Amino acid sequence: MKALKRYPVLVAMILGAIFMVLPLLIVLINALKSPADYSAHGPLSLPHGLHLDGLTDFWTRVNFGHTLLNSVVISGSVAVFGVILSVLNAYAIGIGRIKGKAYFLAFFVLANVLPQEALVYPLYYLSKQVGLYDTRLSLIIVFSVVQAAFGTYLLSSVLGAFPKEIIEAARIDGANSWQILWRMVVPVSRPTLGVLLVFFFIWTWNEFLLPLVMLPSNDNQTVSVALGVLQGQRLMDATMTNAAGLLGALPAIVFFLLFQRTLTRGIAVGAVK
Amino acid sequence: MLKVRRPLALAAAALAGAMLITSCGSSDSGAEGDGKTLKLWHYEAPNSAMGIAWNQAIEEFKKSHPGVKVEFEAKGFEQIQKTASMVLNSSNAPDLMEYNKGNATAGLLAKQGLLTDLTPQVTKYGWDKLLSPSVTTTSRYDAKGVMGSGNWYGIPNFGEYTMVYYNKDLFAKNGVKVPTTFNEFEQALAAFKAKGVTPLANGGAEYPAHQYLYQLALTKADRSWVDSFELYKGKADFHDAAWTYAANTLSDWVKKGYIAKTTSGAKAEDAGVSFISGKSPIFFSGSWWYGRFRDENKFQWGSFLFPDSKMTLGSGGNLWVVPKNAKNKQLAYDFIDITMKKGIQNTLGNNGGVPVAAEPSAITDPSSKELIENFNKVSDQDGLAFYPDWPVPGFYDVLVSATQKLITGSGTPDQVLDELQKAYDAGAPTS
Repeated sequence: MKALKRYPVLVAMILGAIFMVLPLLIVLINALKSPADYSAHGPLSLPHGLHLDGLTDFWTRVNFGHTLLNSVVISGSVAVFGVILSVLNAYAIGIGRIKGKAYFLAFFVLANVLPQEALVYPLYYLSKQVGLYDTRLSLIIVFSVVQAAFGTYLLSSVLGAFPKEIIEAARIDGANSWQILWRMVVPVSRPTLGVLLVFFFIWTWNEFLLPLVMLPSNDNQTVSVALGVLQGQRLMDATMTNAAGLLGALPAIVFFLLFQRTLTRGIAVGAVK
Repeated sequence: MLKVRRPLALAAAALAGAMLITSCGSSDSGAEGDGKTLKLWHYEAPNSAMGIAWNQAIEEFKKSHPGVKVEFEAKGFEQIQKTASMVLNSSNAPDLMEYNKGNATAGLLAKQGLLTDLTPQVTKYGWDKLLSPSVTTTSRYDAKGVMGSGNWYGIPNFGEYTMVYYNKDLFAKNGVKVPTTFNEFEQALAAFKAKGVTPLANGGAEYPAHQYLYQLALTKADRSWVDSFELYKGKADFHDAAWTYAANTLSDWVKKGYIAKTTSGAKAEDAGVSFISGKSPIFFSGSWWYGRFRDENKFQWGSFLFPDSKMTLGSGGNLWVVPKNAKNKQLAYDFIDITMKKGIQNTLGNNGGVPVAAEPSAITDPSSKELIENFNKVSDQDGLAFYPDWPVPGFYDVLVSATQKLITGSGTPDQVLDELQKAYDAGAPTS
């Protein structure tokens, strides 16, 4: 009886999974086609023979290994610094007693909803002034702050519900604020921080506009910008674009699979609260 | 558990530190104007005619400039389009760059003072003698950034124009005669329709549809009409004979089934693919398709200029521009000069491109010969009429939505022309 009840759910889940995987599958089959095959049979047919030139050509054309490294360096650094910044901010707002807490939070939410297009010119001029234009460091700084705005907002509410008893107990034992942060708050909220880390990494990985504007030279380019190289003025190379899409998405998928447990754990922790 | 995590956290911190250090390095660009490096950016695919020819140019440049390094970076069209004004305004500007022609692009940069005036070099190297007048229109911009007169800011290496591509096999199979006049063209369309074949490939969501429209208007137009519309040298009236005829004819063609109503949402790519896959026997579009058709068409095909029209869409190709902040300008001029020489121009022509200064006798491939002869014919009779979306910023989207209305029948030709007039008047500079 119980098994019978499960079937509709199972079917719905399978349908959902197919729906999610289908676009990736289409990218995959088109990445393996030759351009002539694509033009003759359209995007939905199975490839007639394996054609890997799209993948290898794209790899060498944009020096993909180097681009990948850039993306990993930028996204990785942003994830780490973003989380550190968020924790420090949220500790002050969520647990510490500061005046105008709500206004601070409102400020961070506001910073969060600000469209990036509005930031482009100010950031361009600022980075030029301090000599950071066209360096990966400029992007790391910018995105650490941008992501930390969201992180602060989220963590502040999480830490706002942090059990006061633990902190009071620690204080009685003679811990100062610094020790409370690193010995109590951070270890206890580690699952949430893990989730933030993963999110920051993937969000930064997918960023397009700011890397495009701030990193003009190919040596500093990120993966998402490199994908744009294929966008011709009037023509598009459909099979190579698919190959590039595949190469661009793979690292993020691998990263997600590696940290899948962190993610589910984080969500589960949130659910109990 | 905690013991295991401690080293992990340390490792993460160490990694972050290392990342910061690596990201600090390698931000230095080459020394200032040492005359030893040419920083070159373009956005043509490496297997396209331009990509092949320019690679050869880089090799020749290295030979004639021993000790000079060429730092070539392949860019995307969108990337250059979106970031050009910022990059060129910084010290990271390249020495030489391919850039899109037109008022909204090269004209705007020229107006902002971000490009080097090439007029002295043009006369010194004699580039102007290699280019026909309608090709040079897009090279020169006045103080307001309007093309057609003023200083030289860019040098085109290639030309582009539109033509009728046709599937010879389908013509033969359906017993349709290849047309030489406009009447015969319409008869051919009707003959295909009678056999149950929709003759014209079309993409209503992008440029193909309004290129049909503009070409139909051009059958009734002359140079002064084009100058009024494109260069603001007179009043552009969308209810004149040419535009009215064009809108009526296009809507008529849809009603007669020469253009499928379902193509109103199709992209240019879809239109091209419907020709390549042998579904549509005729596709009117630009020379930029030529190389792809040559590689991928599995049937006999050919091209001809739009019948009974002295003018057709087209212009000089994208420009070589030298940014104001370029450090090695002389090297950039030398490189432009190499690309204008016969050797590179002939390579361009033999790989499916449309060179502006090739020797006809050196073009060995017969279909390329046809392509280039047709371009020279149009260019010699001063027949390049540019593109309809050029005169006004954002006009492209207006044209797309207007022609979509014509195709779906949700707007009468008259209403559509009203819409175009309104957008044009709102955007055109008043002088």
